Amino acid sequence: MKSFSKSAKRLGLVLIAVLALPSVLFAAEEIKIGVLFPLTGGAASAGRELRAGAELAADIANNVMPDLNMTMAKNAGIKSLGGAKITLIFKDHEGNPTLGADLAKKLILDDKVHGLMGAYHSAVTKAVSGVAEQYGVPLINDSSTSPDLTRQGYKWFWRATPHDNYFTKDLFEFLKGMTEGKVKGLAAVPKKDITNLAAACEKTEWGSAVAELIEKFAKEYGFELKKSILYGAKATDLSGEVRSLTAVKPDAMLFASYGSDSILMMKTLKDQKAQTRVLWGQNAGFEVPEFVNTLGDTTIGVLTRTVFIPKVGQVKPVAAKVNAMYKAKTGNDLSGASARAFTGLQAWVHVLEKAGSLKPEDIQKAANAIEIAGEELVVPWQGIKFATTGEDIGQNILGSGLIGQYQKRADGKIDLEIVYPFNLATANMIYPFPKF
Amino acid sequence: MDILFGSIVSGVLIGMVLALVALGLTIIFGVMDIVNFAHGEFLMIGMYTGLLTAQATGMDPLFCLPVAAAVGFVLGVLCYGGFVKYLLRGPMIAQLLGTFGLMLVLRNLALLFFGSEDRALHHGLLVGKSFDIGMGIILSATKLATAVLSILSFGAVWLLMNRTKIGKALTATALNRQGARYMGIPTERMNMLAWGIGGATVTIAGALIVNFWSVTPYVGLIFTMIAFTVVALGGFGSVPGAFFAGLVVGLIMEIPGFWDFFQLSFAIDWMADVPMISFKYTWIYVAYFVIMLISPRGLFGWKQ
Repeated sequence: MKSFSKSAKRLGLVLIAVLALPSVLFAAEEIKIGVLFPLTGGAASAGRELRAGAELAADIANNVMPDLNMTMAKNAGIKSLGGAKITLIFKDHEGNPTLGADLAKKLILDDKVHGLMGAYHSAVTKAVSGVAEQYGVPLINDSSTSPDLTRQGYKWFWRATPHDNYFTKDLFEFLKGMTEGKVKGLAAVPKKDITNLAAACEKTEWGSAVAELIEKFAKEYGFELKKSILYGAKATDLSGEVRSLTAVKPDAMLFASYGSDSILMMKTLKDQKAQTRVLWGQNAGFEVPEFVNTLGDTTIGVLTRTVFIPKVGQVKPVAAKVNAMYKAKTGNDLSGASARAFTGLQAWVHVLEKAGSLKPEDIQKAANAIEIAGEELVVPWQGIKFATTGEDIGQNILGSGLIGQYQKRADGKIDLEIVYPFNLATANMIYPFPKF
Repeated sequence: MDILFGSIVSGVLIGMVLALVALGLTIIFGVMDIVNFAHGEFLMIGMYTGLLTAQATGMDPLFCLPVAAAVGFVLGVLCYGGFVKYLLRGPMIAQLLGTFGLMLVLRNLALLFFGSEDRALHHGLLVGKSFDIGMGIILSATKLATAVLSILSFGAVWLLMNRTKIGKALTATALNRQGARYMGIPTERMNMLAWGIGGATVTIAGALIVNFWSVTPYVGLIFTMIAFTVVALGGFGSVPGAFFAGLVVGLIMEIPGFWDFFQLSFAIDWMADVPMISFKYTWIYVAYFVIMLISPRGLFGWKQ
């Protein structure tokens, strides 16, 4: 009797072991992605947007959402990895490249992340991409636009967003279109009316690159850049800069500003009653919700390049749905920043799905071979496909930009309307820029 | 021509505010021979005080000056009574490093409480208002009000120092501490008062500046540098010196504007390629260096 009970116990233990085996063998692993964004500091408002965008994408990837027509919404987790869920580990780099590099190392060595995403500020992304390259950890960038980032010849860096070469070219195509009468609701503007340009860009990696591109394209398109200045994004006073810009009586003022500096710039322009016909911002600080919330009517007529405007939802149902989810979560519409963070993480999901493994080499191979269709995305791009040869290695070659203009709706709310590409325009352009 | 007049007026207005920033530094040095490296951090605290009081009470920021002055006075007195007093027993280097440490402590406390985000005032009676008076001169209402209040503050401090018993006691302590003590002046209390007045003037300046500059916990550094230049130019310990030197430094900050004026007036192409505005603060450092080289006693000399 004793030996029977002993055998029964053994049998029971074996049975438990056998039953438990599959769940041990096929347990869904956790996929850790380290995400570096500026959650405090001058660009904190953009950081909050970026974080919310990435979180929403992770949420959709980790759960089944049948209503949403996206591949990543069809499965709970990464199917090819046994339904493994994505965990985002956020780190705040405060816009500081040294801190960004240190945090990236910490994520790789201490948190043992499988991949990285970030870091918004191009200067920080440059530092982080160096660390990723050193440790052989894949880094998919969502929203840094300095062209240099994909010209470093790195093997572990991919960028989903178009870079400033595309965006700045868009600006000059737009200005050219203004002189050719292509802009909705606007008769052809004589070129002499918008020929004199003045630019002010923040002086880190991103702004300096934009300043160079403005100079390059101004020459190419036959415009005259009368003044180009670089300033510190952490500046607390920009009155000298604005006086310098207005001294040349520019027809168009062009800016590349990060966060609080874009608001300070606009306030100073208003304070000094600056006059210009076109006022354009290179995304970033010009399209975070704080920009409109703080400045109100002062923003009417301001143009900004972006990759997402809520009006895109009118032609892309998937964008409208995701925008509604984002609005329910944050109270704001998706912006260029949050839409790109969302898309960056979406790219990560597709890459992981294709890799079916968490080995860096497999992820690398998958990223180089990935092709995501435009219909999957909230942004109005043709899709995502990273270049594996040529000048821009790792750059998404299917991205494109938009130019929006802040206009007041009938209900008094200020919204971005699409003015470029011309065929997507949703409103007549306000021209010239209203006097402050 | 527009940019020339615009730059001069802007330089003079901001110069008056910079003078007030430097006033506290020169008073403390005048009375105690101690250089306060945490001066810019006092200003930063003044900026936060003005900003937070205005936001919390809904009061116009210009009416928050008494609160800022009170906070600055108490801060100055506490710093002296709880810290600087003990530093005085040590050598000069201990005083230098001590106030440097105070600077780090205050900056990091501000980081802890206020975070590293920029904050700015967007609403107020005068915020965002300006007047175009022709010839390229656009007077910002906040800067004009700040300059006027700065002159009034200067006047008040001048009267206090020259027309009251307390001021005379402070001056006596500054001139000869031991002699003043023999005459029955409580020099220890005078030191504390000097820190209080120094703190109050700089926090008033901070609460004025926040009307048109944004604030972060790091904003103090540039102001410490500016205040040092003003005090070096005006002469350590000299109140009128600080005022005139403030105006000169305000104009030095407008050098890029004068550069633009020459470039545009005489159409000198190569001047357009020099990124002067990117180095607008550099001229303050250059001025500091030149003053130290040519006239270490400043315009009005050191206290005698």
